Amino acid sequence: MTRSFPKAQVVVYPGSNCDRDALWALKYVGFDAEFIGIHDHIDADLVILPGGFSYGDYLRVGAVAAREPIASEIKDFVNRGGLVIGICNGFQILIEMRLLSGALLQNSTGKFICKVVELEVSDITTPFTNYFIKGERILLPIAHGFGRYVKTDELKTNVVFRYTEDVNGSDEFIAGVSNNDKNVIGLMPHPERSIERLICSDDGLRVFLSAFNYIKLKKTQEDQKANAKVGV
Amino acid sequence: MQRLVYNMKYIDILERKLGRKATKAEIEAFTVMWSEHCGYSHTKGYIRQLPRVGFGGNAGIVPLDDYHFIAFKVESHNHPSAVEPFNGAATGVGGIIRDILAMGARPTAVLDSLHMDKITEGIIDGISDYGNSIGVPTVGGELRISNYYKYNPLVNVMAVGIGKNEHLIPSMAKRAGQVIVIFGGATGRDGIHGASFASEDLTGEKATKLSIQVGDPFAEKMLIEAFLEMVEEGLVEGAQDLGAGGVLSATSELVAKADLGAVVHLERIALREPDMNPVEILISESQERMAVVTSPEKADRVIEIARKHLLFADIAAEVTKTGQYVAKYNGKTVIDVPAKLLEESPEESIYDYTPSEMPKFSWIKFKDIDAHEVFERYDYMVGTDTVVKPGYGPAVMRVKGSCGYSLVIHSRADLGFQDPYWAAYITLLESVRKTLAVGARPLAITDGINYADPDVEPEGLAAQMMGLKNACEFSNVPVASGNASLYNTYKGKGIPPTLVIGMIGKLEDLNVPRPKKGPVYALGFKDFELEREKILWNEIERIAKSGHFVVSMHDFSTMSTLKSELQNVGLEMKLKIPKCEPAHQLVVVFGDVETKLPKELIGYVR
Repeated sequence: MTRSFPKAQVVVYPGSNCDRDALWALKYVGFDAEFIGIHDHIDADLVILPGGFSYGDYLRVGAVAAREPIASEIKDFVNRGGLVIGICNGFQILIEMRLLSGALLQNSTGKFICKVVELEVSDITTPFTNYFIKGERILLPIAHGFGRYVKTDELKTNVVFRYTEDVNGSDEFIAGVSNNDKNVIGLMPHPERSIERLICSDDGLRVFLSAFNYIKLKKTQEDQKANAKVGV
Repeated sequence: MQRLVYNMKYIDILERKLGRKATKAEIEAFTVMWSEHCGYSHTKGYIRQLPRVGFGGNAGIVPLDDYHFIAFKVESHNHPSAVEPFNGAATGVGGIIRDILAMGARPTAVLDSLHMDKITEGIIDGISDYGNSIGVPTVGGELRISNYYKYNPLVNVMAVGIGKNEHLIPSMAKRAGQVIVIFGGATGRDGIHGASFASEDLTGEKATKLSIQVGDPFAEKMLIEAFLEMVEEGLVEGAQDLGAGGVLSATSELVAKADLGAVVHLERIALREPDMNPVEILISESQERMAVVTSPEKADRVIEIARKHLLFADIAAEVTKTGQYVAKYNGKTVIDVPAKLLEESPEESIYDYTPSEMPKFSWIKFKDIDAHEVFERYDYMVGTDTVVKPGYGPAVMRVKGSCGYSLVIHSRADLGFQDPYWAAYITLLESVRKTLAVGARPLAITDGINYADPDVEPEGLAAQMMGLKNACEFSNVPVASGNASLYNTYKGKGIPPTLVIGMIGKLEDLNVPRPKKGPVYALGFKDFELEREKILWNEIERIAKSGHFVVSMHDFSTMSTLKSELQNVGLEMKLKIPKCEPAHQLVVVFGDVETKLPKELIGYVR
């Protein structure tokens, strides 16, 4: 019998610019990974909405990208329990699609900020963070002009990452959140940029490793179930 | 419509060569093509004397490893940035990125050399907004704050790209029968006569915002991806970006270099302002456009790829064997001149300069500022190839699965004032030191000439160019590309001669030395003697390769950026600033090292 390999797709919106970095990170941890466009269909275990400036961010950030044909594909995928990571502009798009609650406004400094920041991992029960230790402090880079997270719905806000100090004016230092089912996560920091010590830090690697192993385990269990049924 | 009409400087030469009176359209066309900005009239004689490598295309080309070439070039956007800082600086980034792209390389890094009287928010925002959007990291630069640049800020941007050898694209057409597709954003009236404007004094009515191009980074990003897709599919047989001189300059250069001609159909250019007249379409400097030479049977696919990336595209011209450059609008001829003539801008005579002994320089200080407030507004990490981030001096990048390369951008305007020859010379030597300090071997440079009025002070330019030439020969580092910005004057008063050098080097080992806790030494000599330079280089190279962090700076009293960078990683640096001459041979070394050179303990890192 064949066991399918964890597969990931990176959605390339017009103006995405971290798409190649995300693909590199996925392949680095072993995913079978590819790009898809806004008119394509999703066929994967994990979908990444990468960072960048979709449609130049000339309108409200992420607003145009959230209304592309791929949006309904993504929503169906999420309803089926598929895993989605939105990074930076991808986080903004997920918020615009209302798959995550809250809003992302311009940094309180009014300026773009690019630097490595310290984060605290607040929730290690998501498929993206089970390789971390609760409360662990990690280093990830940020690079955004509109990353100030504002809470809009207490009940639907599950905080996954927090800055350890005020970076951009976010409510409660929130850097990343998930939905209540925890299969959709959005974060402003860039885990795909920190998978090698040589380049920045390798703390972001564990986000992808977590997802890879979560999917692998799930597939193994499904295969075992299927095999048990046919009595192999 | 009424527009500022420039007095054409070389009208007599033009009419003599044409053998008749020039038409109004020809005057407009040649004003652009023979402007200092496009034609390099004052500098091409000097440039010819430089030791060169991979020269002549849109950007300089140097082999990096067995499979990749590196394309790089520095370009100025001084005049536009003076009048409209945001768009001036933004389009400065956009323009040089397309030069790199046109060679078939993916742009991988941007560095900027900024000379201003204060941190001009508009300029920083312009670079940040444009560079961040297009996904090319801004990995380094120099920030020189001085009152000398109050009216004439200098914005020099260096871009670098990596391409596969089989994708290297010539900057010319090959044969009659090829077609030229122009694709990108729509064409408007922005930047008309920008090239001419950039070739004059900045005083008064000529300094109008109408000559400034407006940037659209989203279109640029789409243009990059579309063009690289065309290259990947083998559709591009020649390419040129549309910069100064617009359609006219790009299409005529492509064919003139190959002794060919072209028929251009101006009505096929997509317009943002539908009532533009044919000459305006011909010379508009609207950004985010490229010209691709291809075969007729491939043109459809080229257009299809461009449109897929939300860009305008059409076959704008056919390559002919006549040698004539013909521009038509709905079948009516707008201009018809020899293509070669457009390229043959008149050449000003060059001056011989005999170098004298190096003078005793006095210190002219630039302000010491922590550059974090600037470079943290640039995305310096996108692409995940930035090995050494801004703040440590030279930038170090890698090519995934291969070697690394170092990037330095450096200038010595403080010396330029006092002796342009030695200023240029020392700028190059110091660039070599910086490159060696990160464990790299210098490959080549790109030079950015920023000068005041060459008609008033021709000797200074001659001295600067001679200094560069001699320093390149001394160092055995060739020039691969360059740019000249002259007439950086305001009310006749000029900037100091400011030669900006962009140097690339190659690293085999990506484990670049980093600052560690321990003693810090000043090593070398407090003054300058040319005979000692290569001894210093050998020591820097040896010490860097032994894993010690080495800092080469011209003014060690401006270490705020490094100091705060060290603080960010939990290190505290306490140094007594070593006293030295403005031209010196001193480097700062972190950690205990054996050396034959004079060495003095100046502090600690804790």
